[in-house]
Amino acid sequence: MNGQPILTLDKISKSFGPVQVIDEVTVSVHPGKVQVLLGENGAGKSTLIKMMAGVYQPDGGRILLDGKPVKFRDTNASEAAGIATIHQELNLVPTMSVAENIMMGRFPKRFGMVDRAALRKQARAALDLIGLDIDPDQPVGELGIARQQLVEIAKALSLDARMLILDEPTAALTRREIAALFSVVHDLRERGVGMVFISHHLDEIAEVGDSVSVLRDGKFVAEVPADTPEPELVRLMVGRDISQQFPRRREYTGPSEPLLHVEGLSIKGLVNNMSFTVHAGEVVGLAGLVGAGRTEVVRAVAGVDPYDSGSVTIRGRRIPRHNIGAGIKAGLGHVPEDRKVQGLVLDASVNENIGYATLASTAKAGLVDFKGQREKAQDVAGKLRIRMSGLDQTVRSLSGGNQQKAVFGRWIAAGAKVLLLDEPTRGVDVGAKVEIYELINSVTAAGGAVLMVSSELPEVLGMSDRILVMSGGHLSGELAAEDATQDKVMTLAVRDVVRDLEDKS
Amino acid sequence: MKFTSFKRSTAVLALGLTVALGATGCNRGEEGASGEKVTLAVSTLNNPFFVDLRDGATEAAEAAGMTLEVVDAQNDSATQTNQLATAATSGVQGVIINPVDSDSAAAAVSPLLENDIPVIAVDRAVNGAEIASLVSSDNVAGGKQAADELAKAMGEKGKVIVLQGVAGTSASRDRGAGFEEGIKAYPDIEVVAKQTANFDRAQALDVATNLLQANPDVTGIFAENDEMALGAIQALGDKAGTEVSVVGFDGTEDALAAIQAGTMTATIAQQPSELGKRSVELMAQLLAGETVESNVPVPVTTVNEENVEEFIK
Amino acid sequence: MTTAVKAEKRQHMDIKKFLANNGALVGLLVLCLALFIATPDFLTAGNMLNIGIQASTIAVLAFGMTFVIVAAGIDLSVGSVAALSAMVSASMFTTAGLNGWVALLGGLLTGAAAGAASGMATAYGRLPSFIATLAMLSVARGLTLVISDGRPVRTADQVSFLGGNLGPIPMPIVVLVVAGLVASFLLNRTVIGRYMYAVGGNTEAARLSGIPVQKVLVIVFALSGLFAGLAGMLLSGRLDSAQPQAAVGYELDAIAAVVIGGASLAGGVGRISGTLVGALVLVVIRNGLNLLNVSSFWQQVVIGLVIALAVGIDVLRRKNTIH
Repeated sequence: MNGQPILTLDKISKSFGPVQVIDEVTVSVHPGKVQVLLGENGAGKSTLIKMMAGVYQPDGGRILLDGKPVKFRDTNASEAAGIATIHQELNLVPTMSVAENIMMGRFPKRFGMVDRAALRKQARAALDLIGLDIDPDQPVGELGIARQQLVEIAKALSLDARMLILDEPTAALTRREIAALFSVVHDLRERGVGMVFISHHLDEIAEVGDSVSVLRDGKFVAEVPADTPEPELVRLMVGRDISQQFPRRREYTGPSEPLLHVEGLSIKGLVNNMSFTVHAGEVVGLAGLVGAGRTEVVRAVAGVDPYDSGSVTIRGRRIPRHNIGAGIKAGLGHVPEDRKVQGLVLDASVNENIGYATLASTAKAGLVDFKGQREKAQDVAGKLRIRMSGLDQTVRSLSGGNQQKAVFGRWIAAGAKVLLLDEPTRGVDVGAKVEIYELINSVTAAGGAVLMVSSELPEVLGMSDRILVMSGGHLSGELAAEDATQDKVMTLAVRDVVRDLEDKS
Repeated sequence: MKFTSFKRSTAVLALGLTVALGATGCNRGEEGASGEKVTLAVSTLNNPFFVDLRDGATEAAEAAGMTLEVVDAQNDSATQTNQLATAATSGVQGVIINPVDSDSAAAAVSPLLENDIPVIAVDRAVNGAEIASLVSSDNVAGGKQAADELAKAMGEKGKVIVLQGVAGTSASRDRGAGFEEGIKAYPDIEVVAKQTANFDRAQALDVATNLLQANPDVTGIFAENDEMALGAIQALGDKAGTEVSVVGFDGTEDALAAIQAGTMTATIAQQPSELGKRSVELMAQLLAGETVESNVPVPVTTVNEENVEEFIK
Repeated sequence: MTTAVKAEKRQHMDIKKFLANNGALVGLLVLCLALFIATPDFLTAGNMLNIGIQASTIAVLAFGMTFVIVAAGIDLSVGSVAALSAMVSASMFTTAGLNGWVALLGGLLTGAAAGAASGMATAYGRLPSFIATLAMLSVARGLTLVISDGRPVRTADQVSFLGGNLGPIPMPIVVLVVAGLVASFLLNRTVIGRYMYAVGGNTEAARLSGIPVQKVLVIVFALSGLFAGLAGMLLSGRLDSAQPQAAVGYELDAIAAVVIGGASLAGGVGRISGTLVGALVLVVIRNGLNLLNVSSFWQQVVIGLVIALAVGIDVLRRKNTIH
């Protein structure tokens, strides 16, 4: 590497209690370069960036700032050195304006009052640094996630940051928003800002990165150029070849009964007259752009939200509207979009989380069948290979993939025949993704039906038997797995269904 | 549909609750015959004493053909201040105030005095304001009477505990001071503990139990009101009236019953309805243009088993 | 690391863990030890019974409050509801001349009904429980005054029995123990109890798992009201009369007991045993300071500090477990 790095972690180590989380890892961040950190969940990426940011202090090794050893006692110390972290959970006050958020804690004052004009001017200057054209007086909460992220970057730059740590910045963004973010990253690179970038999307690495440091189980594995082919990156990360990224198998041989039938489902302003059927042994992908109404369909079918007209039939039984319990009784299971907010009671144990859907149905006279519930949870956790210290471990302390498996486990335990999966592999690392795909295989092999919403097109193409594409709340087309390509799906996803209909008439 | 209408009715109920919440502060009295309109601002109606006071005042007002509007401050000085400010602008001819707090009442009555509305205080004084008159029981004298009565029952020797009222109230101060002065006359009687039970029966039960634990050889208890005395009697159980003499203050119905039953030695009876009645009569005199005494004491009487019959209604 | 060092470390960790999980209990024992040294009147059989009796009302209220706090709610109305239940029961007996058992049952049902009303306003009316129960606090107190016209009313003998003695055993302690066992059983063994933890831990996840969140909330508040009604029976039974101004401010004691006992106001965490210890801490402090003849103004200061300390330790503990 050319020139002096801004920051170097030199043979750094960190343990929590008896667990060694980082073991002699060396990483350097150079000015004008994007250093990618790659590794499965639990590989130690977040511990590493927290040491860069001064949240944790290393037990061994040195931190070098401009070649000189330093100690970051807290986050203030690292900020003073020009290091800023853009977290996944943004650090903004939604009800306050863009300008106030950028200048938080250092409002310009005049006669003891906030100098609004200067506040706006300084905020404007910060926004100009990244070419972001928004009204500084707008409350941050009214902006989309992507813009909020850019506001946070502007804030960091206005604090004279010369090194940015971007922790999964693309996780919640759409394609177009990602492109906008990357153009900002390119600009910043030109200006000599050093960056650390974390992402689960391998395709983004070549696009945005310069060099990749791969971590596995807290150890440094290799540093490779960013244009290294994806399979090679996966091999480095997982430590073995993943022969098939999408191991879809169709092993069900029984009669192809319709298990889920949705007829004319409409939600005013969101979903328009959706009709489809999912059969036993089948995985149906539900594709579309963000905001096309996919999640709304799934939530309405699951009874989470009410719908205005239409009907939902599960295994021949008509399910009353807006009634979660009735769906579950008929054999429905719903893995929601956001497992932490909607799927899990994070501070409860794995055992409890797996058992919620069956607590009442297995109870006798209102008393919990603790023994039976526990045996079932143990069985399911074993089948799903949930990596935990025991059934009593809190779900919060599991990795993302294992948390997701716990949500799946609840419906496996309940014997669900129809699974609604909303972004089942979001924020899950490569290894765990394959395990979740195998889980889908085993559900369909046993005669279950799966409806899967996913924003990752390769996943939809790789795992579905049929693909439904939504656009603007309408069903814009259906593709068989054999004919489907990314282009065909995208064409349907951007199709303006309403205008097409008008053209016809 | 059933579900939605249920939701709606809950919302209506909730709204109703909120309105009820806002309305409790202004408890309107009954409209009387024509004539002068007078406001009676009482500190609280959560206590039988003040209920009796109100009843006495209402009766007297009816007799005098006066319209008496009763407002209840629920023991909150700020509420009372607001109520008096409202009264000042609502065209009443006079105000009878039973202050929540004697010291903060001066500020509360100032808008009335500015508007030349005559003010009479009842039961508790208004400190630092020129009001027309104060109608009150003689609490200091009552405290002394209580000391004498308790000493007599204890044979002029032994240990005593005192249950104090809400600290800072003039009733607690005056009764306590009177008792202390009175008990000095008996050198063989020792006050071993003083604790507050905030004029509350349930609190007095716990506090008296605890104090008796620390001082098992106590033979006398003075409580600054009857509610606390009754709590103490509950704590004493069989010992009440036999081994331990209890003297209260106020003369409430329950206390009189306890004296009859022999568990309570005596109470210093105030005459709350008399207080209410006298204050209304004075107001009538004032409004008729007569002058009144600035201090009108309403006598307190010692009630014991000898004369309890006379007080039972 | 040698095995001996490891074993020692593990033992050390176990003690630390025990202390962290039972901070309130340790605090209670320290408090008792201090009082034992300070006054010979503290550790006597008679005084221990006193403490049990005096804790009964607060503890029963706090048991009910535990359900609510576990389900991530708050019930500010328990003091007023206790007073209302006691007054309804006493009036049924004295004014309406009904049978004492009917009056006792009527009081308990009044509490449950008031609680259910708060629960419906919370679950279906979507009011925050803080607001719904604040309204109920005022409504219940107001109704108590309306029914009683501000005067105490004599309780039924059956209610007085609850506040009296069964041979040498004080009934309030019996009620306290039975109520604690029932509450603990409900919370730990029954489906509805486990649902409370789930709803309190993450309402949305509970709902999506098919848990009838709204029904659970109504039951939670109804139970809190029922326990408040029982506390009202105890309180009025001990005094042989229902007081219109009874139990003012007791909701704060009940909340304090639950929080000292280790529950989190964020919901999902809490145990009946902890709540009992919390109630005992409050009562022992009051009892001890009475025995030492300390002014009750200082008692309030001390209780405030104990609450701050207990919750502070709890926050510290949480921080440590997430490392």
